[in-house]
Amino acid sequence: MQLFKTLRLATRDYQHEWKTSICFVLGLSAVLGPMMVLYGLKVGIIGGMFNQLIENPINREIRPVSSGRYERAWLGALHRRDDVTFVVPHTRNIAAMIELQSQRASRIIKAETIPSDHGDPLLDPIRVTPTGLHAVVLSRSAANKLKVDVGDTISGSIKRRYRDQSERVHIDLKIIGIAPLESFARDGVFADLRLVEALEDFRDGHAVPALGWTGDVVTGERTYPGFRLYARSIYDVENLERLLNEAGIDVRTRSTQIALVVKMERNLNAIYWLIALIGLVGFALSLGASLWANIDHKRKELSVLRLVGFRTGDIIWFPMIQAFYTAVLGTLLAVGLFQGVAWLINDLLGQQLSNGEPVCILYQEHYIAAAVLTIVTALISAILAGIRAARIEPSDGLREL
Amino acid sequence: MTAEANPISIYQIRNLLLDRESQGVSFRLAVPSLQIRQGEKIALIGESGCGKSTLLDILAFIAQPTESDGFLFHPEELDVGVHIDYHWRKRNLNQLGDLRKKHIGYVMQTGGLLPYLNVRDNMNLSRHVLHQEDDGSVEQLAMQLGIARHLNKLPETLSTGERQRVAIGRALAHNPSIVIADEPTASVDPFAAEKIMSLFISLAEARNITVIVASHAWQHVNKLGLRRLSHHTQRSSDGRTTETIVNG
Ligand SMILES: Nc1ncnc2c1ncn2[C@@H]1O[C@H](COP(=O)(O)OP(=O)(O)OP(=O)(O)O)[C@@H](O)[C@H]1O
Ligand SMILES: [Mg+2]
Repeated sequence: MQLFKTLRLATRDYQHEWKTSICFVLGLSAVLGPMMVLYGLKVGIIGGMFNQLIENPINREIRPVSSGRYERAWLGALHRRDDVTFVVPHTRNIAAMIELQSQRASRIIKAETIPSDHGDPLLDPIRVTPTGLHAVVLSRSAANKLKVDVGDTISGSIKRRYRDQSERVHIDLKIIGIAPLESFARDGVFADLRLVEALEDFRDGHAVPALGWTGDVVTGERTYPGFRLYARSIYDVENLERLLNEAGIDVRTRSTQIALVVKMERNLNAIYWLIALIGLVGFALSLGASLWANIDHKRKELSVLRLVGFRTGDIIWFPMIQAFYTAVLGTLLAVGLFQGVAWLINDLLGQQLSNGEPVCILYQEHYIAAAVLTIVTALISAILAGIRAARIEPSDGLREL
Repeated sequence: MTAEANPISIYQIRNLLLDRESQGVSFRLAVPSLQIRQGEKIALIGESGCGKSTLLDILAFIAQPTESDGFLFHPEELDVGVHIDYHWRKRNLNQLGDLRKKHIGYVMQTGGLLPYLNVRDNMNLSRHVLHQEDDGSVEQLAMQLGIARHLNKLPETLSTGERQRVAIGRALAHNPSIVIADEPTASVDPFAAEKIMSLFISLAEARNITVIVASHAWQHVNKLGLRRLSHHTQRSSDGRTTETIVNG
């Protein structure tokens, strides 16, 4: 095999004919560069939308619409499913209201208590879990109104009518964290389920021995009117929704919005690949045709190679090697073009279009895919030229000129 | 077999025919008998269109004869002769190519240098294909041809005569048994042509290389002591068929 020698000669020829080579490379990057920008926009914009969808746990939330009677065991079974990351029972909403007061602010605010537990997606960003009857996480808005911060202690109070008498109890609550605004916009208190249950018990006239609150003694299995459920990912929401519907539970989810973005991504992908396919075929045809025509131009030189003993199998590689160079250099130039344009787009449009996320971006795997696709296409379009080059006989060039 | 009877003949051809036909005009080259011995210097002199290039192509295994009773090629490096007619019939083009690259140097009329290689690499082309080491012989050859100072230049920066000398150097560099040259000096002036030709012949003589040259130029053929192949060309009265018969 003279492959190494063919490589050397094809390389020298490619350098020597640098004007032609530059034209090939420019032609390629003129097709590939805009295609990369287009794809970068798709990745940036749709990816940004997806990130927001994925990152915001609200999109994974599944809420029962009306109250039911859910047992712990049933909720536990739900929790063990792979497509459920978090589920915690919820008490009646009205029963969960609590009045809060701090020493720093004069006003008393009414807040909802929200049962929480380990792995609560709403508290994920701050990584704290309220445990016990005296530790809570406040929502941002509640913390602002009470002018308190982490480490402060506030006082919570609830009242009930019990045996025709109005009763009020107080409980000290230590603030162990403040949930971000995105997690909960209203005034809210994230608390251990036991605390939320205690508040409900007190309201219902039951005794809460742990807090020294008196009342009737309850027996029997506790049931819950609601629950807080979060799917593992936005893709699991639809299935879980169907499952719960089949069990006779009406739920509210963001599945329509999710489906919309997923559908939009799919459509944009289809459009992009259509454009890319047309561009790629166009590039393959144009490169193939110019390489093919270039063989005429090189007929004499190639026949000299045949004359000095290069075999047909060696000559095939001549245009293939040059196409490979064109593909590699063209891809590099296109990447350079892309990065320049992407920088411009992100700089000019970035602030207007999104919250700091790049509008036009490609990741490593996209660059690799672009290079591989281009090189393979170039090699395929060079095959015909290669076969044509290999057909050249030693005598072909001898009589010319 | 004839090859064993006369071992010093590098070419032995019997009753070879090559027919060419294009647009109603036909050309036939007939070689009833041709023997060329190792080290011989052969000149093919004849009018334009008589078939000189065609015969050289046959001898360089580039053109396929239409038919032949025998075409034996036996350079001294080989123990037995090779039946070229057999390889043509089998279309063993790569074998013919291998024979050509090992045993034959070819000087093209227009040089046939690769524009992207410098003079040194052009002269080394056949040597590299044959995996021959760089042993300084190319530099020596360049010196003898008077082109040593151009070794690192590209062909496009050389004069026609210099390019022709590079082409001769390339044909000689890998020490072939035969060098075939088709009008190697047609594109230079007569004075330069004579100088280049005598340089070529003396270099070939020193290496005991068989030389076969086609040329229009009569005068220095005799001076250089080449053997002229006798040939006879006849045209039909309407000029549509030409037949050349070569013997030697
Ligand atoms: N490819 C071809 N197809 C058909 N006929 C050809 C071809 N090449 C050459 N011929 C014919 O063969 C004949 C011999 O051509 P050839 O090239 O051998 O002549 P030549 O003696 O080398 O001439 P010159 O001195 O001009 O180079 C000519 O009549 C030519 O027209
Ligand atoms: Mg000729």
